[in-house]
Amino acid sequence: MPGLGRLAAAMQRAGRALRSSRPDAILVYSTQWLAVLEQQWLTRRRSVGLHVDENWYEFGELPYDIHADTDLGQACVSHSLKVGVHARAVDYDGFPIDSGTIAAASLLGIGGPEFPLVVGSNNLYHDAGTTLRLGSMAAACAHEQGKRVAVVGVGGMSGTLFRTDMDLRADRLATADDDKWNHRVLRLMESGDIAELKRVLPDFAREARADMGFKHFYWILGALEGRFMGARVHGYGPLYGSGGAVVELTL
Amino acid sequence: MAQGEIIAGFLAPHPPHLVYGENPPQNEPKSQGGWEPLRWAYERARAALDTLKPDVLLVHSPHWITSVGHHFLGVRHLSGRSVDPIFPNLFRYEFALDVDVELAEACAAAGREAGLVTKLMRNPNFRVDYGTITTLHMIRPQWDIPIVGISANNTPYYLNTKEGLKEMDLLGRATREAIARTGRRAVLLASNTLSHWHFHEEPSIPEDMSKEHPQNMQGYQWDMRMIELMRKGRMREVFKLLPQFIEEAFAEVKSGAFTWMHAAMNYPELGAELFGYGTVIGTGNAVMEWDLRAAGLSLLEPPAAHRAERPGQNG
Repeated sequence: MPGLGRLAAAMQRAGRALRSSRPDAILVYSTQWLAVLEQQWLTRRRSVGLHVDENWYEFGELPYDIHADTDLGQACVSHSLKVGVHARAVDYDGFPIDSGTIAAASLLGIGGPEFPLVVGSNNLYHDAGTTLRLGSMAAACAHEQGKRVAVVGVGGMSGTLFRTDMDLRADRLATADDDKWNHRVLRLMESGDIAELKRVLPDFAREARADMGFKHFYWILGALEGRFMGARVHGYGPLYGSGGAVVELTL
Repeated sequence: MAQGEIIAGFLAPHPPHLVYGENPPQNEPKSQGGWEPLRWAYERARAALDTLKPDVLLVHSPHWITSVGHHFLGVRHLSGRSVDPIFPNLFRYEFALDVDVELAEACAAAGREAGLVTKLMRNPNFRVDYGTITTLHMIRPQWDIPIVGISANNTPYYLNTKEGLKEMDLLGRATREAIARTGRRAVLLASNTLSHWHFHEEPSIPEDMSKEHPQNMQGYQWDMRMIELMRKGRMREVFKLLPQFIEEAFAEVKSGAFTWMHAAMNYPELGAELFGYGTVIGTGNAVMEWDLRAAGLSLLEPPAAHRAERPGQNG
């Protein structure tokens, strides 16, 4: 699958850049970790298992061995209320960590003892603003603990998937409009035009059915206190019709 | 081959709280009870199922969500640990179940013939979702009847309710055809809550029943209206109201199990037995049975190919 291979290679390049910055911990938000009650935070020191995706099980298993920064995770639980969000810690053997978190940890080469994670769920009732505040709060908790962190938002761009079986070698963006939207948003990231980006993102979310309202980007934006200089797009391509991009924001 | 039968269909919701409240050995967390009226409703459903003696239980679960097609468990034996991603504090269950793969394959084939995208899940390491497990545990804790597990394609949410439920109707008809082709005596389980407005925080003691009540009045009133129609067998009215019910009560039947089951049963205008109703974290849950055998509606027409083969049937 050349297209998927290119995106995987892009993730690996981004992972090298991330690891070379030597963070103490990595703040991860995945659109695929769905929550409907409180905000959930992974606080289990080590989660080990074999993951099978509920949709794409034919591609095999994803083994995982994820270490969490439990002190920072617990701080996120206790500080969530400060941004108006009830939270709970998740520390259970066999908890079904989502495919997005596992794939990102694996391809970026993070989540080992050297690069522990703090992972937050995507509460379906949270809007972009709430997610932004959670990202900001998580970064503030890290700052309080004197930790240098990297931040990762796991999710897609345009969200229209093909609904029928297809040969992955023939994968493409579902519509030309989606492709245009994705390029427009990526160009704004590259140029560091945050004001314009913020202005167009609600339209992008609606018109291109951006993955979960593009909340994973708001998580990053919150953690960065709304500031970055530009972006390097390591890769872009279709994921069963939806848009996938690997982007490193430069600070 | 025996003549296929759909003996009964059950509305069999899946709050993991019911398993937690019961304290079975498979579930790691232990409770002080709770949700007794619903658990007693399931006791009555268990007794009813016991008399039916089906070959197979088919369950459609809204917590196996698939985006490309309708999927069926297709591995003969599955086991492992299933942890509820929403309520991991309540449900960490060691499951082991047997699948009627021949029927699952027949369902997938009949679905494809009906124009649906269908898939068979063949990965032996697959973790079965908590909706499937909760419904099956609550209706048959012995785990001694093979099952067919069916995913909830997300069309009702991704496109719209009308398109989605049209697909679930086709899926139900295909299921009926598959049961006829394989000669199974089947019981159908629609793993659905009714009104689905829920609280956003859990009590510190989850089984503190002083905190349990309907999340809102409108949801409760809708549930009572629909249950009353179902008890009276006014199913045409139920299905006419279903889109409004889904919209106004945020009803989980949107995910398709209820429509799938009734389509498979050929939409009988038949009164249901209500075993009990109760709320779980504010959502409305009813355990109900449509007993097709007692009504003389269970036997299925042999499939077209078999009818043609039978002497004396063609002339």
